[in-house]
Amino acid sequence: MSAPTGDAPRGLKQATAARATLFLAFWLMISGWAPADLPVGLAAVAGATWTSLRLLPPGGSRVRIGSLASLVASFLRQSIVSGTDVARRALNPRLQLRPGFVTCPLRLPPGGERSAFCALSSLMPGTLPTGTDEHGALLVHCLDIGQPVAANLAAEERLFIRAVGGE
Amino acid sequence: MSLALDLFSIAAISAGVFFFLAGTVGLLRFPDALSRLHALTKADNLGLGLIVLGLLPRAESLLAALMLVAIWALVQLAGATAAQLIGRAVRRKGPAI
Repeated sequence: MSAPTGDAPRGLKQATAARATLFLAFWLMISGWAPADLPVGLAAVAGATWTSLRLLPPGGSRVRIGSLASLVASFLRQSIVSGTDVARRALNPRLQLRPGFVTCPLRLPPGGERSAFCALSSLMPGTLPTGTDEHGALLVHCLDIGQPVAANLAAEERLFIRAVGGE
Repeated sequence: MSLALDLFSIAAISAGVFFFLAGTVGLLRFPDALSRLHALTKADNLGLGLIVLGLLPRAESLLAALMLVAIWALVQLAGATAAQLIGRAVRRKGPAI
């Protein structure tokens, strides 16, 4: 998603045009082509482009397609595992839960990338990030504190950092 | 071929319905607000994914198929974000009830 570096204002202009086009295509895909709806769509595109440039300035991070693919594959696998895990626990007559909090120190600094990772990890098996403590470590709520939650989360963070071009 | 696709749709949508049911059972049975959030986000997201997967072969056009996938992605994003915000509020202030 990053624009080529170089002349900063030109990069910004390119990124704005690219993102607005992408958002417009997305709007047209969802709502279909109708001239009467277009003002609403254009307003939404403007809002989305402004927000995206605010939260994710161009040239900040370099997404690697290969690593991103393995992150998506891992995410889909984890979705199946976590949904099955919750279903099994919910339908178990004896309701085997040991809910509690686990503190997981993160390597990602606070900001957009960290938020994205937290959103991803809230869909992982048995974990739900609920903000950070005073040292900046993630407080994760788990359905079963007997599971290796911190180790799993650290492994997922490594995958994520690689996908956004961190190392 | 169309029989195979029909069977695929039936299997995927049935599995999706099963996960929605399991998520709802979890919502009713789990002991506290945070555990209930787990049930909602995880089981229902998988349920929606399976229903979308089952509906894809029945989509009338590529555009309709893309819309189904976009709906799934938007719900995932909204669910993941809302679950974290609610989780943080519950941890800080305690459950509302």
